[in-house]
Amino acid sequence: MDNFIGKRTRSKEGPRHVTGRGLYTDDFRLPGMLHAMILRSPHAHARIVSVDPGEALKNPNVVAVVTPQDIKQTTKPFKPGRYAAGLKRSIDEYAGATEKVRYVGEPFGAVAARDRGTAEDALEQIQVEYEPLRPVVDVREAMKPSSAVLFDELGTNLAWNGSLSYGDVEGAFKSADRVVKENLKIHRYSSTPLEPFIVIASYDAASKRLTVWVTAQVPEVIYDGLREALGLQDIRVIIPDVGGGFGQKIHLIRKYVVLVSLLSMKSGRPVKWVEDRSEHMMAGGHACAQEFEAEMAVKNDGTVIGLRFKEYDDVGGSISTLTIHFTNKLNNLSNTYRVRNIALEGFAVVTNKCPVIPNRGIGKPGMCYVWERMMDRVAQELNLTPIEVRRKNLIQPDEMPYATPSGNVYDSGDYPGLLQGLLEKIEYDKLREEQRREREKGRLIGIGVVIAVEPGGRNAARDMAIFPEMKEPPGSGGVNGAKIKLEKNGTLSLHLGSPNCGQAHETTTAQVAADLLGTTPDKISTSIPFDSDLSPWGVAAANSGNNFHLYDIGAIHGAATRLREKVLKLAAHNLQVDPSELTIEDGVVKVPGSATKQITFAELGRIAYNNQHLIPDDLEAGLEATYYYTFPHAKPNLVPGAERLVRAQFTFSAGAHAAIVEVDKNTGAVHVLRYLIVGDNGTVINPDVVNGQVFGSAAHGIAVALGEGFIYSPEGQPLTVTYLDYGKCSAAETPRVEVMHRPSPSPWTALGQKAAGEGAAIPSPAALASAVEDALTPFGVKVCDLPLTPEAVWRLANHNPESERRSY
Amino acid sequence: MKQTIRVTINGRLYEEDVEPRQLLAHFLRDAIGLTGTHVGCVVGECGACSILLDGKVVKSCLHLAVQADGREVTTIEGLAKDGELSPIQEAFVKNYALQCGYCTPGMIMTSHALLRDNPNPSEEEIRKALAGNLCMCTGYVQIVEAVKEAARGSKNG
Amino acid sequence: MIPAAFEYYAPRSLDEAVTFLAAHRDDVKILSGGQSLMPLLKMRLSKPAHIVDIGRIPDLDTITEEDGHLILGGLITYAQIENSDLLQKYCPLLPQTATNVADVQVRNRGTIGGSIAHADPAGDMPATIMALDAEIKAVGPNGERWVKAEDFFLGLLMSVLEPDEIVTAVKVPITGNDKTGYLKAAPRSSGFAVVGVAVRLALDPSNTCQRAAIGITGITDKAFRAQHAERLLTGKKLDAKLIDQAAAESTRNIDVIEDINGSTEYRTHLTHVYVARAIQAALQS
Repeated sequence: MDNFIGKRTRSKEGPRHVTGRGLYTDDFRLPGMLHAMILRSPHAHARIVSVDPGEALKNPNVVAVVTPQDIKQTTKPFKPGRYAAGLKRSIDEYAGATEKVRYVGEPFGAVAARDRGTAEDALEQIQVEYEPLRPVVDVREAMKPSSAVLFDELGTNLAWNGSLSYGDVEGAFKSADRVVKENLKIHRYSSTPLEPFIVIASYDAASKRLTVWVTAQVPEVIYDGLREALGLQDIRVIIPDVGGGFGQKIHLIRKYVVLVSLLSMKSGRPVKWVEDRSEHMMAGGHACAQEFEAEMAVKNDGTVIGLRFKEYDDVGGSISTLTIHFTNKLNNLSNTYRVRNIALEGFAVVTNKCPVIPNRGIGKPGMCYVWERMMDRVAQELNLTPIEVRRKNLIQPDEMPYATPSGNVYDSGDYPGLLQGLLEKIEYDKLREEQRREREKGRLIGIGVVIAVEPGGRNAARDMAIFPEMKEPPGSGGVNGAKIKLEKNGTLSLHLGSPNCGQAHETTTAQVAADLLGTTPDKISTSIPFDSDLSPWGVAAANSGNNFHLYDIGAIHGAATRLREKVLKLAAHNLQVDPSELTIEDGVVKVPGSATKQITFAELGRIAYNNQHLIPDDLEAGLEATYYYTFPHAKPNLVPGAERLVRAQFTFSAGAHAAIVEVDKNTGAVHVLRYLIVGDNGTVINPDVVNGQVFGSAAHGIAVALGEGFIYSPEGQPLTVTYLDYGKCSAAETPRVEVMHRPSPSPWTALGQKAAGEGAAIPSPAALASAVEDALTPFGVKVCDLPLTPEAVWRLANHNPESERRSY
Repeated sequence: MKQTIRVTINGRLYEEDVEPRQLLAHFLRDAIGLTGTHVGCVVGECGACSILLDGKVVKSCLHLAVQADGREVTTIEGLAKDGELSPIQEAFVKNYALQCGYCTPGMIMTSHALLRDNPNPSEEEIRKALAGNLCMCTGYVQIVEAVKEAARGSKNG
Repeated sequence: MIPAAFEYYAPRSLDEAVTFLAAHRDDVKILSGGQSLMPLLKMRLSKPAHIVDIGRIPDLDTITEEDGHLILGGLITYAQIENSDLLQKYCPLLPQTATNVADVQVRNRGTIGGSIAHADPAGDMPATIMALDAEIKAVGPNGERWVKAEDFFLGLLMSVLEPDEIVTAVKVPITGNDKTGYLKAAPRSSGFAVVGVAVRLALDPSNTCQRAAIGITGITDKAFRAQHAERLLTGKKLDAKLIDQAAAESTRNIDVIEDINGSTEYRTHLTHVYVARAIQAALQS
């Protein structure tokens, strides 16, 4: 059965991409298509006084303009999402600003012309009058009564505040031998997919049908957004190859789909919009800057008995993703530790910066950062080694499945084993010895060892836990469909509920289907693009690596199993045997050992679609199966009750990371000498694919820690609108990441598979912080804030704190 | 005012009228229909639009189409012959040196030029040569492996 | 990211180019390799009515030797500099610098003439040609003139070049036994210099520094020569202590800028570190 699962197979996506035959949204051209540009704010905070497109419209090649007035009059606000549920007063969010702009780059209009150059010319000719307002840039300042206010309806920039407590936190802190405290910071960054936002909208006024091609991760968000904003019913969403997602292409992109659709409706022609890189950097969505005030209650032997923290989230100029980074803390709230008493309080503060969005881990890197920085701190204060302290508190393999205090249930994992495996691999003791020797020679080598869970799965009901006033969950669990069809010629085609943005959906699902159906991946094609007219819905997978393995694989496994039954039944009928006597090998259904009792998939295909008299009466004609997967062990705590216990996610991969760095004291430059991961992603279906996900997410987390990030001026102007200024790393600056697998298959998924996507981005910032702090041990400094830019490290090493000049 | 240019692309001569401000990348994609050349940043930082111009790897978003008049262009579509992948393309497939595929054409064009000029590059040389090509997905490990493997292959073959 | 509309002209001779430039001098930009100009055009920070593409003018892409000097045509690319045997042999500081410029794609197209004319305060070449006491040949409607590198740059993207003048050549000395090196700090290897230091040292057999030239880029509005540092080194035997002292003098009287890559304080310090390291690297060359 396992001919392909777990094996290296040939990439199915590879051949088209290496020949330039991938098909992305920008590769489509429709007859009469116009080209759009988005009208955006150059101000961080301003009232829009007037918008006059008169001059632009004088050019006959400029066909349509959308103004804030159009937005207000012809569209409706999006239905408030689950992350805005905690607002005291609901705030309308339209596809574009209608009265006030709240960040540089905020869209409030659009223009379409016959070619892109003319559209850009037209954009310059639209006259906009603004009344600039005082910008709100710093979170702490934003919370003061003296600050300007972004949303008048709220009267404050502290848009939401709430708390959760599990176990006896008070008691834990009372009985602690010691309380370890630290303030920590993680900055704004994003994964900046190489393919920017791209939309083509084509509205057929006569049939009132809107078709959009869009590089989006979640078709549902686009579908619902268009329905809510434009009041349309007949909507078709097509998602071709997606040039990278990382969470970036889930939420904000719906605004642009609406604006471009409006242009199509106004002009009666298809309209394409391609975002510029600088637009993406200023308005495409950022991971949230998070500040933590953390406290750990510990015993003198290193046992951690309680954690509590306050979290201040700089959510930018929108309320639609207000609490997303805070509620995601529930996903890895316990990390790998068996600490039973945990309390958290969140402050979501709106500022005149780019709205925050889900990005590679969504708040989980912050949670892991708190745990792993604090573990190092505990070790320092108790004069223990960081390894000892972690070991002491790890959840043990024999405790699996393990229920965390907040209601998560860890399915499987051997955390001490991962840690031990890592220490052996890096020869930890020897390395420490070497570090001592090098330090004597003046070299500053640092070793950081951290550990983390990578949760997988989806549960929208999670957010109810922080909104006690919410009566009904905004959905719960995750549902993901897949369709599989045996074609007339005996090949198979798969239709997935989620588009592919680089996690090798086609390769991996083909491996699974091939094994289940006794054929080979080269006889299987997976349908790209996603097409809402044809594809099953795949709300759960969100086109993300951490959900693909649970949901898409779960769904394809279910569909293939179902199809196998049909195939066997049809074959059995025609071979006049019982289905239980049959096996399938290489696309031939047969009675083992018999030369005559066999029938090929191609023959079955011809029968199933063509030949009624050969189809048994109790079998539906055709050979097709659809399966909608839900995680079968989602209860208890699928929906939070009074105790606010909730299964935030369902499978728990994990990884132990080691960063070995050298710090140049004179320049502050950090050089990563080695980066190693021992990972548990459950059953690995394709090692190359899983490794690729690990390499990529680790590289990103490392770059984030060392300086990649968004910077704003005190006036709220984004200073990092190019890849160069933002600090995106190339192969030349990226260290070689090494990975080893030590899988603990999930007992609750069909193949034992668990998440494999963003995982390595979760602990890598903490690993680097730990390593740099370790390198700087001779200077007795603490690393609390990211990013560790050369200047920041130089200041640490030279005890030269900088007054806050820039805002991340 | 449009100008007429004659450009040889992947061995075939094209004559087209272009606006002087049209970028070479857009000319290849929109006028010629060779959409394998991707545009990721438009300001010469990501390298997704890398092509060969008179044999040298360049970023086609930093060129005007009119500048290519009378010159030879090779795009990603020009590497495979009759469906048979070139060694560097094959190495990318085999080593999973791509995820979303968006940076891939540029990565391959740069790697192709590197191996032509330096058939036996060290890892450091490979990484330096790829400094102008960004990838957000892979962390570059498998890309570097693919280039190494293609280099080994060319030595053996 | 499409430039504002312009008329494009690709003269086939220097005369044609100069004539056209003189006629449109108020609203024209010269396109050489385009690696700096194209982004400016696309971001519409520059919206000239005319673009003159000098890329097709013959004879501007040669490197020749002349009376103890080397003459580089204005269209010589960084890649040509990087790979020139002649330069490796007679003026290695140029290839040492060129290999640090941006990435291979940019080096294949970016030209020395364009780089100098653009006068980017974080460009690599300006520091190097200053350290080399290079001369720049500018050709315009009034004929040609040679400008010393140290007189050439005026400030942020500003030089003595008139809008109708073309940089057609750069003259650099044959540096013989001089020790040279270029070292650069950048957030990304392909990025602009946070600080870039070009060093040329003439040592006598007893290791006494007879002449020191240090060009620095990236930290103020234009590249400059670190004269105080040079003076300190000249006439002395170079040791680590002296080098550090000289390095500490390298930013004297310079208004060091602050930007996303570092504060004034940090960049000043970093410059001192890089000057010292560049001198050490040159000594080991």
